[in-house]
Amino acid sequence: MSEPDIIIVGAGPGGLAAAIAASRTGLKVEVIEQRHAPGGAIYRQPVDGVEPVPQAAAAKRRWQSLSTRFAESGVPVRTHSVFLGIDGDGTFLIDDRDRGKLDRLQPRGVIIATGAVEKVYPRPGWHLAGVSTVGGLQVMMKETGRAPQGRILLAGGGPLLIAVAAQMARLGNPPVAIVEAGDPAKELAAGLQILISPGLFAEAFSYLRTVYRHGVPWLRGHRLVSIKREGQDLAAVIEDRKGSRRRILADRIGLHDGIRPNDFGMPPETTVNRAAPFVIHAGDCREALGAVAAEADGERAGRMMAGLLAHGRHEINELEELVARNRRSQAVLARIFAPVQSGSLLDGLTDETILCRCEGRTVGDLRQLCSRPDPLTGREIKHNGRFAMGACQGRFCAANTAALMARLRPDIPAPAPGDLIGRRWPARPVSIGTLVGVPPHAEGQDEVLR
Amino acid sequence: MRSSIPQTAIVIGSGIVGAAIAYFLTRRGIRVQLLEASAPAAEATGAADGAVSVASKRPGPMMVAAIAGVALYRELEHEGLFAGLFKSRSTFIVATSDEECAVLEAHADALEQAGVRIERLTGGALFEVLPALSPSTRLAVQVHGEGHAIGYQIVHRLLTAAGIVVDRHTPVNALLRDANGRALGVETHKGQIKADVVVIAAGTGSATLLGLADILIPRKGQLLVTERAPRLNAAFAGSIMSGRYLMSKGNRKPGAPTPARGLGLVIDPLVTGQFLIGGTREDHGDRRTNDIGAVSQILADAVALVPQLVHVRLLRSFAGNRTAVLDGLPLIGRVPGLDNAFVATGFEGDGICLGPIVGRTVAELVCGEAPSIDLVPFDPARFKSGMVAA
Ligand SMILES: Cc1cc2nc3c(=O)[nH]c(=O)nc-3n(C[C@H](O)[C@H](O)[C@H](O)COP(=O)(O)OP(=O)(O)OC[C@H]3O[C@@H](n4cnc5c(N)ncnc54)[C@H](O)[C@@H]3O)c2cc1C
Ligand SMILES: Cc1cc2nc3c(=O)[nH]c(=O)nc-3n(C[C@H](O)[C@H](O)[C@H](O)COP(=O)(O)OP(=O)(O)OC[C@H]3O[C@@H](n4cnc5c(N)ncnc54)[C@H](O)[C@@H]3O)c2cc1C
Repeated sequence: MSEPDIIIVGAGPGGLAAAIAASRTGLKVEVIEQRHAPGGAIYRQPVDGVEPVPQAAAAKRRWQSLSTRFAESGVPVRTHSVFLGIDGDGTFLIDDRDRGKLDRLQPRGVIIATGAVEKVYPRPGWHLAGVSTVGGLQVMMKETGRAPQGRILLAGGGPLLIAVAAQMARLGNPPVAIVEAGDPAKELAAGLQILISPGLFAEAFSYLRTVYRHGVPWLRGHRLVSIKREGQDLAAVIEDRKGSRRRILADRIGLHDGIRPNDFGMPPETTVNRAAPFVIHAGDCREALGAVAAEADGERAGRMMAGLLAHGRHEINELEELVARNRRSQAVLARIFAPVQSGSLLDGLTDETILCRCEGRTVGDLRQLCSRPDPLTGREIKHNGRFAMGACQGRFCAANTAALMARLRPDIPAPAPGDLIGRRWPARPVSIGTLVGVPPHAEGQDEVLR
Repeated sequence: MRSSIPQTAIVIGSGIVGAAIAYFLTRRGIRVQLLEASAPAAEATGAADGAVSVASKRPGPMMVAAIAGVALYRELEHEGLFAGLFKSRSTFIVATSDEECAVLEAHADALEQAGVRIERLTGGALFEVLPALSPSTRLAVQVHGEGHAIGYQIVHRLLTAAGIVVDRHTPVNALLRDANGRALGVETHKGQIKADVVVIAAGTGSATLLGLADILIPRKGQLLVTERAPRLNAAFAGSIMSGRYLMSKGNRKPGAPTPARGLGLVIDPLVTGQFLIGGTREDHGDRRTNDIGAVSQILADAVALVPQLVHVRLLRSFAGNRTAVLDGLPLIGRVPGLDNAFVATGFEGDGICLGPIVGRTVAELVCGEAPSIDLVPFDPARFKSGMVAA
């Protein structure tokens, strides 16, 4: 089997569109995806034998069109294959989880389309069992076809809360409440449909209708400030815009404060170094602008990469315009969902609040490090505070740690989350057995030893 | 010897060596300005394993210095300065072939002669102490009384304790000196900085400052860290070092050709339950990347010694550059031709172990006190002809 010229990491709308575009020039293209099927965050496919969760009509249409065109392109997808990084010699590394094997390839071009991750601000108690991200709940629903059970509270900010609440309601278990930091209802009246695409508006409207029909309280201008375990319950403290507080009891809590590019540990873009593959970022992992933009941006990246390798022409103006339009829509959305309360959640945190869940490092630990006259760099904070050093390699804490550092030490240049994370491979933990060619045992021996 | 204590000093470089020098100078009441090209522990010190160990030292002055180095870690831990940062443990050097057994036996004799407490383990006793070792292990030499420390944590502790605010992102471009063999200070992009004494502890950066590019060699090392694996970690009575390490680690006969890539395996159980596994010795340029060839070879060697490692996941790879000296011995002492300038670098794979003791000794030298370790074998004057002030 001949090796691909271009490898695309991630089979979401960005990656698939990139693959279609790049393969048009006759270059050999391959997509690798860590999950069991293509689709990405938005078109996540159910696991075998499960009924898909009903999706908004526009999204369904987009997926049908994209997946059909992708199938026609004949580009192969390797599933259960995790991209580990590009090593110092330019070798592209894949953790083939089905076979417990490491694959080494030498592509000439790599398009990173690993999507977005959810932003979640730390709050006291956010690390407790039963607290997850809203997106995590959604993935579970999409893959299992079932709503999460028990009393579910959704909190944070942004349109995803409504979407997930509606999907839960349609699957028979609406959340007990939605705690929303912004006050979108006030802004909605302002003729927002002119500003965002009609498709998005229809989608949002249908979610809202479902949420209202099921009588789910939509607590706008509220924020969840802390969580405690009380016997069987999780008790969330909710604060309204005047500062008065109340408790809501739940079995599970989903948090979500927006999304940001999932470029953690990924190789940076480069189109100059001929000793290593060219790297282009595409879709939400370049700029989190949503599914429509991701598809356009993927196509842009695919054409660009094909142009770089085949020295052909690549026309990308109209795609850039489409991306720009979505950037404007996202800016409007961000304004609509802007938190009503002034002051960041980051400022009022107690010292005991966990920042890094893997290593149990707290806000107090960071405050102490930042209290010295010595202006520590991001890397020193990482080393001496053990932030971004755990098993998730900073996915959860690097952005929050960097943001909090910037607030604690406005006198020194703010670190980027990447300064804390670094760009060393593997981007994900990988079994040593895989790296040395000994496939891991089937039975749960790992558990005993770890 | 100088009898008067200087009032101010510039230290160039805030790796473990510069940080330790700055700490011990500050303790003597000297005002220290610590100039750093990037940030503390940004180079070798932040990419090292951290064996505080005599086990692998070549007999002679390095073994003697390392014994003093380990003793000082213990002392400073006892005093509280290094509290919680020094993990006491044995080193087990293991041999799996005839050749390794022979080298190891000879090395064990040398350690004993230097007064180091060791034990030879074979057969049932070996696997009782080290149940995780591969059954093909033939001999283990347990070196008692050693330990482990993480370079960047030691640096942070030293700087915090001395209350030093490091001048970050301030590379020194050159030394300033007068016509009478005295250093006046240094030249940086922020301008000239003056002091009574200048100490160079700039790792590989020392080469340019001293004009020793042919004598100081960057020697890359690749190192790996795993996830936490507390059960397996608990089965390690200490760090495991392959007997082959002795052959790879600067113990080549002078003049022997340098292999493109040497591999000396050490598996170090950390207090966190993780393992540090390393590393390579590569003499080609100053690249600091990790390549799958080296990483999988390190891991294959590690798994050959400790088969259960296949069930543990690799979390990160990293690489750093040791500063090696052509003749295998560090440079510690006065810069030839300059009365009040000193250098301490070239510690190759031993600077974490030696950093604190070297810091103390250089401070003693600067202040005209009797040195804690014999510096004669390390005198920079042996490369006088190449040096800046010659
Ligand atoms: C929780 C959540 C909810 C969202 N909800 C909406 C919504 O309702 N409407 C909307 O318009 N947008 C939504 N978005 C944004 C939307 O998902 C994206 O705009 C769109 O899916 C982006 O497409 P993409 O191809 O860039 O990334 P994705 O669709 O996220 O695809 C990235 C793919 O890369 C794979 N991947 C990641 N890392 C690796 C690796 N190391 N190796 C191999 N594969 C890897 C992932 O498994 C994934 O399949 C949401 C995003 C998130 C995170
Ligand atoms: C993979 C690996 C494993 C190792 N394992 C061990 C071990 O187990 N045990 C052990 O004892 N040792 C070990 N070592 C060796 C140890 O890390 C080094 O010997 C030690 O860190 C050297 O410290 P240093 O302060 O001399 O140099 P560095 O830590 O390199 O510090 C030099 C500093 O000077 C700065 N600098 C450079 N030029 C200038 C300039 N012009 N102006 C201002 N600042 C400048 C640099 O930015 C740097 O911060 C290992 C090293 C490596 C790479």
